[in-house]
Order: sequence, then structure tokens, then C-alpha cells
Amino acid sequence: MRDAFSRCHPVVNFTYFTAVLLFSMFFMHPVFLGISLAASMVYAIWLNGGRAIRFQFLYMLPMLLLVALINPAFNHEGMTILVYVNDNPITLESIVYGVASAVMFVSVVIWFSCYNAVMTSDKFIYLFGRVIPALSLILSMVLRFVPKFKAQARVISNAQKCIGRDVSNGNLWTRARNGVKILSILVTWALENAIETADSMRSRGYGLKGRTSFSHYRFGQRDKLLLTTLGLLIFCVLAGALLQENSIQYFPYIKINAATARSVLVYTAYFLLCMLPVGLNIWEEWTWRRLYSKL
Amino acid sequence: MQAKSKSGGKRLNKRTLVASALILLVIPATIVFGIFVLNDRKYYLISLLIIVYTMLPFFMVFEKRKPQAREIVVISVLAALAVAGRVAFFMLPQFKPVVALVIIAGVCFGGEAGFLVGAVSGFVSNFFFGQGPWTPWQMFCFGIIGFLAGVLVQKGWLSRNRVPLSIFGALATLLIYGGIINLGSLFMTTPHFTWQGLLAFYVSAFPMDLVHVASTFAVLLLLSKPMMEKLERIKIKYGLIEPEPEQAL
Repeated sequence: MRDAFSRCHPVVNFTYFTAVLLFSMFFMHPVFLGISLAASMVYAIWLNGGRAIRFQFLYMLPMLLLVALINPAFNHEGMTILVYVNDNPITLESIVYGVASAVMFVSVVIWFSCYNAVMTSDKFIYLFGRVIPALSLILSMVLRFVPKFKAQARVISNAQKCIGRDVSNGNLWTRARNGVKILSILVTWALENAIETADSMRSRGYGLKGRTSFSHYRFGQRDKLLLTTLGLLIFCVLAGALLQENSIQYFPYIKINAATARSVLVYTAYFLLCMLPVGLNIWEEWTWRRLYSKL
Repeated sequence: MQAKSKSGGKRLNKRTLVASALILLVIPATIVFGIFVLNDRKYYLISLLIIVYTMLPFFMVFEKRKPQAREIVVISVLAALAVAGRVAFFMLPQFKPVVALVIIAGVCFGGEAGFLVGAVSGFVSNFFFGQGPWTPWQMFCFGIIGFLAGVLVQKGWLSRNRVPLSIFGALATLLIYGGIINLGSLFMTTPHFTWQGLLAFYVSAFPMDLVHVASTFAVLLLLSKPMMEKLERIKIKYGLIEPEPEQAL
């Protein structure tokens, strides 16, 4: 599906993901966890479609169960003892905490899958090109070199196969030796190639003033609006965090603040923050349909 | 390259200054903040921030001294080789040459280059395998192994011969990489630090770690000599050589 949020300015994308990832990592309140998990799943499915559904069921569900089981097995804190296994108490609190931390971990991983789809490497380099010019140049070069070297490694490997030195035959040690041979040939090729690249860069004026970036993003009216909304929502959530709306105590017993009107307000702000890209997509779709039906 | 060797002493001082400010002021402040403000997530946040602080001075110093095109390209090539090197061993599952190549980079081009190659290859390989909460930990582990290799060789405490290097590589992979990455996964998933929990992570990751150790050892044993010869040749042929290392040795 077309994603409207991906077409926004990289600053908006990056602010959104930084906020959502940090909040998901550090808020252990069940309401916040639930909102974060649900929103991350919806957005991942919007971005990646069937691939995301498969990923969530095949990898995330087992991981959720695994992480949920690790905690009660090693953490014996908590007052409500359910059973004893090998003289070790299994407590209700540690099971609940295990589930909560599993949901946290899984939602962070799903958020990162959305991040990978939206924040492409050229957006990252566009954002950080001015702050860390040398490092972002290294990044963009490595990102280019990796596929190039992989292709070259395949060429070398095919040539080696002709003289019976492929990695696919022989025992483990022979295979490793042949692999090293391929790598060694690749290194020679890559280094010569690299120095030529560097000389070419220098003669074309690398490091001089007034150079522009390859990708060009415009910070438009919509980005201004979105960034302001993001700022307001982040402020609301942070204010709620300072007022202890998101705090929960798991050990030695579970203690949670009762939900008030104020906490509902904070929950709503967090929900709107997490669902911002999906909301934007729905709004775009709706506008498009309305304009289309007017014709 | 010329400017770099002239300001060599000063560069180290500046990095030491930033690093000591971070270690003496910012890290304790973070720990105090974490203990008093956060409850259950304190281990993860504190450890993550400490890792970021440790990496910052390297990046800052590198940006400050406005590196030359040739230096940038060599670092990029080494990092890309570390990432792409997996293709050469695609028939051997879990065979990762990253640590070995990072160590070779550190030995040939010094600690700083070793750190950058390590951190960049950790970051970039996750563009292909997926970014996650583990990215900073991997960047830090690869980087610090490259840095250590460079510093130890420059100080003369580690020989450039292939057997000592391979043993160093195997130990670094097991203790530094395995040690820190497993600690990171413990902090990511559980709230309280327990020795049994840590032990469980080490035990369950041990087979994977062992494969990683074996691949680092094998690659260093087979590749370190020819690859270091190649890097030295490039250094001499294109004048990347600095007068500094000879004095230091």
C-alpha cells in the first residue's frame, strides 16, 4: 500500500520514530504497552502487507512466548507465590512482568521493522549529512560498496568454481580455505578500486564549500503541521509520565494508579501519537476518494 | 594524512579530555538519574546510554579533524568488506568474518580506524539484516575490539603474527563480543539483574558463540598474513603511510 507518512520530510519521520521507540522501550504500564503493540502491528501491516502478518505470526509470537517464559524462570521476586518448581517459587508478579516485558520487546522489534521501511538510508544520510559529514559519507559509501562487493564476490566465486575451488565442495576446512581465498581476491580488487574512487573524488572537489546533497526534501506546510502535532502529543505524553500516569510497580506486589480523567487524556495522546502515520494515511485516502467522487 | 600525523599528540589529548568528562561527569549522572527516576527499565537505559557515551568521542574526534578522501574511502572499503565477507562463506552457516576483518583493520590502520570500521560495519550490516535494540551493542562490541587490536599492536603488547592474532581474535569474540551482547539481551528482556539469568543467557548462546569464535579464529589464521600484506602494499603504494607508527614502536 502507498504510505503517505513515508513521503513526509525526514525530520518528521525521524522525530516520530525516536519518540515512539523510546516510549515503547521505557513505558511498562499495560495500557501504554497495549497501545504501542496494537499501533505497531497495524502500521507494519499497512507498510508491508502480508509479509508483516507472516513475520508477526512466525517470529514474533514464538518470541513473545519465549520472553514471557524467561522471566518467571529466573526471577523469583513477588509476594503471590503460585507453585514451587525445584524449590524455586514461581510468582504471579514475575509471570505478569514476563508477559509485559515480552510485549514491550516484541512491539519494539515491530516498530523497528516499520522504521526500516520508512527511514531509508538516504533519508538518514540527508538528516545527518550536515552534523556528521565524514561519517555519513562513510555510511553512504559502505551502503553502496556492500552490494557491489557481493556481486564481485559472486563473480570471483564462479571463476574459482571453474578451477575446482568453490566453497560448495570439500570438507569444512577446505570450504573455509576456499572462502578465504575468495575474500582475499576480493580485497585486492576492492582496495585498488577504492583508491581510484578517492582520487576521483578529490579531483571533483570533495570537501569544498557549497556542495549539495543528492536527495532533496522540501519542508512543506503539511510537514510543519505534522511536526507541531507530534510536538504537542509528545509533550502531553511526557507531562503524563512526569505526573506518574504511566508508572506501575511490579515487585514485590503489583501496584497501579487508578485511571482518572487525566490518565484517559494521556492515554488518548499516546494513542494518537502512535497512530499518527495510519491516521494520516486514512485521511489521505478519504480526501482522495472525496475529490474523486466530486469529478 | 600529513595533517593527521602532525596533530597526533593533540588529537589523543582531546579525545582523552572528552572521554574523561563523559566518564567522570555524565556517566555517574546517568546512573544516579536512572536509579532515582526509573524503576524497572533502569538497567537497559543506563547501559544503553553508557554505550552511546563511549562511542561519541571517537565519532566527534573523527569529524573534527576533517579526514581526507583517501582515509574515508579506505575505512568504507574495510567496513563494506566486513559486511559483504559473509557472502564468500555462504555455504558455511553462521560463519561471520566481521570480527576478524575488524581486527585486521585495527592492526594495519591503528585503533581509531579499527573502531570506526567496527562500529560502521555493525551499523550497516543491520541495514541488511534489520535494525533493532541490539544495534548499539553490536556497534560498540565490534568497535571496541578493533580499537583494542590497534592499540595493543601499537603498544607492542600484541604481535602481528598470525597465531597470536588468531588467539586474540578468538578470546575477543568470546569474552568481549559474547560477553557484552548477552548482557545486552538480558537487559533488553528482564528487569532485574540476576546471576542465574545471565548464566542462562550465556549457556543458551554458547553454541552460537562457539561457531563465531571458530570462524574468527579460522579467518584470522588464514587471512591475516595475506590481507595485512595487501593493506601494507596499498599504504606504501599510495602514500597512506605515516611516520608515526615507527616512532611509537
